[in-house]
This record gives sequence, structure tokens and C-alpha cells, in this order.
Amino acid sequence: MRTAPSPLDALAPDPAKLAEILGGLPIGIAALDLHHRIVFMNKALEDLTGFDSRESAGIPCRHVLRCGLHLLGARQSETAGGREGLIKGRETDIIDRHRRKLPVRVTRIEVTDGRGEVAMYLEAYEDLSPLRDMERRLQDASGAGELVSRGEAMERVKKVLPAIAQSDSPVLVTGETGTGKDLSAQVIHKASPRARGPFVRVNLGPMPEHLLEIELYGRVAEGGEAVLGCFQRANGGTLYLSELADLPAAHQAGLVRVLDDQTIVPAGSDKGVRVNVRLVAATHKDPEELVRAGTLREDLFHRLGAVRLHLPPLRERGEDVEFLLTHFLARFAARFKKDIKGFSPRAIRILRSHPFPGNVRELKNIVEYAAMICQKDMILPAHLPGHILIGLKPGESPVSGRAAETRGRKRS
Amino acid sequence: MRTKKILIPLFRDEVAPRFDLAGEALIVAVSEDGTVEGRQNMVLPHASADDLCDLVLSRDIDTVICGGIEEEYYHYLRWKRVDVLDAVAGTAEAALTRFLTGRLKSGDMLFAGGGDRV
Repeated sequence: MRTAPSPLDALAPDPAKLAEILGGLPIGIAALDLHHRIVFMNKALEDLTGFDSRESAGIPCRHVLRCGLHLLGARQSETAGGREGLIKGRETDIIDRHRRKLPVRVTRIEVTDGRGEVAMYLEAYEDLSPLRDMERRLQDASGAGELVSRGEAMERVKKVLPAIAQSDSPVLVTGETGTGKDLSAQVIHKASPRARGPFVRVNLGPMPEHLLEIELYGRVAEGGEAVLGCFQRANGGTLYLSELADLPAAHQAGLVRVLDDQTIVPAGSDKGVRVNVRLVAATHKDPEELVRAGTLREDLFHRLGAVRLHLPPLRERGEDVEFLLTHFLARFAARFKKDIKGFSPRAIRILRSHPFPGNVRELKNIVEYAAMICQKDMILPAHLPGHILIGLKPGESPVSGRAAETRGRKRS
Repeated sequence: MRTKKILIPLFRDEVAPRFDLAGEALIVAVSEDGTVEGRQNMVLPHASADDLCDLVLSRDIDTVICGGIEEEYYHYLRWKRVDVLDAVAGTAEAALTRFLTGRLKSGDMLFAGGGDRV
């Protein structure tokens, strides 16, 4: 009596059939022969390792997958005289073609033939880097990525960031200058499933329209030579367009088409190129106001505004001012190798009353300047930049302040 | 005449697929005319990219031939003026022979297989 063939028999060992069955799976799969040589890798594994399945066929998997578990396992089994067995969800790492060490979870199963003998191995590789990035951010008590804060207003923002990152919808980031729009875009990218893809930042500031078109969509020269636009450079990742309001109306219509079709047409070509890009756009102006004024197309605003992230100005972030002053002082004191313990009460008072129109960026610059010129163990009003001190009442001048503080310390 | 030194991290008789997990290393001294003047196999106390970098520098190695190496170590060695031919897959002998004839480059796959090979 003949044994019924296992369903997995259909896989072994025809690469064309393997490609058909395994090609579209979202996790990386490698088919290995009995000598652990690559028979086939699906698209997800090609993306993860950077190696092409065809060029890797016949190569021992340790040289293509460069999996830590296998290399250590092979050495141990050599000394123990055993063989590598099944692997179920073991966490390890690989080094990809671009010299990046990536955390992965590996599972290996044996594919048997009709007689129950092992015909090949299938190995599944799950990329754990987005998970690790997310874990790192959640463990970071000070906040998401480099968005440092402690106040309630910013905590609300940081709570929604992971959810925004996990969706693939376009995002519109709004907020005054210096509130952290660029950082938020990076945090969204790093915490998203596209984290391993590129993050491309484009400033849509004033530039000639034809150059802007090439910057956005690329160009195909007469000889067929292609200049990649930012959409192509960001393929598989995130494209961050800062200062959306500076984008001329004609290009806004083009952007609407790209968002609808995920297809761009490079200058000098009539063929569309499909792109897989998540768009994050930012503006420091009120987008509703821009729509009313006719500088932002309503259809573009509605497409981008599906997910909206507003970053509060520093003056609405309460306790964050003092927290950020301390945070940046520690950073710059370490950078300039100075033993600065903090701000004098008078310096803190002056800084607390400053409106910070440039928000966190301005605060950071002020602290950097103060730490740079401070030769004492405390930041005094005299160490603050001139523009902070303009407008202070005569009794609050840095000199009188310093004298008052010195007196105060002597008394205590 | 200056002797050049080449280091190849080893896995069995192959170029180690990973620099950081190599348990052995082969150091070869080569004269300017390409003659091998000496070779030494070293068993490393434990696999470590940091220790291997220290070995490369303490032994005045001119060229490292290796498999996968992390960006950080690659650039460190380059910064220390060590040539690094990485992502080389094959036996150490095949890689060395190819290097001595001036034809080895990063990414060379020296195993016989199904795809395009050097």
C-alpha cells in the first residue's frame, strides 16, 4: 500500500513552486536542502537579508542568513557530535547585507517526503526590530524617542504616537516652529512597521517649480538615465514633507493624485511608477486657515488630515519648561565637560517668564549658550543670551541679580 | 620590502560568515611580490568583534577578509586604515588565493551555486 503524500511534498524541492506558494508571505521564509544550502528565499527574506534568492541558491545558509543561532549552534553540535534539530521561535540576530545587526525570531521545520524522510528544511525569520524599537520607546520613561517631556499636554501626544505609527495613513503634523514636528515624524517612522525602510525628509521651501517636480517625482533623461525623486527614495518607508504650506498649488494637485493612486510619473517619462510610501506632512501654520486663504487645497487637506497630530507650544506645556531646562543642561554640561549643577533661582525666574516664541528649539539653544559661557557651577542670569534679558525691569538686570544672589548665598 | 599582513576570521575552513562570531583566525604574512611568507592559525578565547578588532590592530594587520561585519566595526577598522573586504563567502584558501591575485572584492561569493558567481 502506498503512503499518501504529505501536503508539504508539494513544496519540495521545486523553486518555482516554492516561489508561488511562499512568495507573498509577510515573514521571511528560506527553503534549505539537507546540507543547509539555500534552495529558495521569499521576497520578505530577500528584503530582510538584502540578498537575492537566485544569487544565493546553492550557498550555505550561514553565509547568506548569517544567523547567530545557527553559527553558535553549528559550533556546539560539532563539539557535541550532534546535529541541529528543530527550532521553535528562538530569538537571535542576523547581519544583513548592509552591515546591520537585526534581531529576529527563527523557526525551523523539517519537510518530509512520502517515506517520512527529511527532504528539506523550511526556516521562518520574523524581523523583531520594529518590536524592539517600540519596546525601547515604551521603556524610556522620559518619552517617545527624543520627544522629551513630563507635562500632561505632551504626554497626551506621546500616548497616541504608537497608535499613529502602527496605522499606514498619511499624517498631518501641526504646531508652531520648534515644537518638535520633525522629531515626531521620525518617531512615527521608527515605531512603524516601515522602520527598516528609509526615512526621507524633504523641505518644500521655495525652489523653482521644475526643480521641485524633479525633487518630488524624479526625472528620466533622454538616455534613459533616471534621477530618483523623493517618493522613489522613500519607497518602502516614510516620506516627510516639512512646510507643506510652501508647496505650490499645481504640485498640491499632483500630491493628491499620488495619495490616491500611489503612483508617480517622473519628469520626462509618460510611464507611472508605483511607490509604496507613507506620507507625513507638517506645517507651522493653521491648516484650516490655509484652506480658507486658498494656499492649501481642500482635497489635499482632507486626505492628509485623516490622522492629525498637533504639538502644543511650550507656553502651554506647564512644568515642561523647568524639566527641559534641567534635561538640556545635563546634556550640554556633559558635552562641554563642565560641572554645572543647575540654574540659580533668579535665572530660573527669568527663564520661566520668557515666552519662548521659538519653543523647545529656542529653549535648547538658550541652555546650550548658557552652558557654553558659564564658568561657574551654576547658570546665573549673566550667562543667559542678551535677548532674554532685554525687557527685564532695572532691578532684574543680570549684574544686580548676580550681586543679590551672591549676597543671598553668603547669608545662608 | 614591507610584508603585508592579512587576517581572515575562520569558521571551520571557511571565511567566518560573521566577524563577531568567529572562533578562530588565520593570519597570513605576504611579501610585496605576493609570496606567502608565513601563516598562523589562532584559536580565539571567545568570539567577540571588539577583541578581534584589538587583535587586528595589535598585529598591525593591513587587510581583513571577512563575511558579515557590523557597520560600526567596519568603519572603525577603515578609520584605523585597515582595508576590509567583507561579505566574502567561501573557503579561506579560495579567498586568499583570489586576494593574492588581486581579484578579491567585497561581496564575492566563492562557493559553486545556482546564481551568478565570480
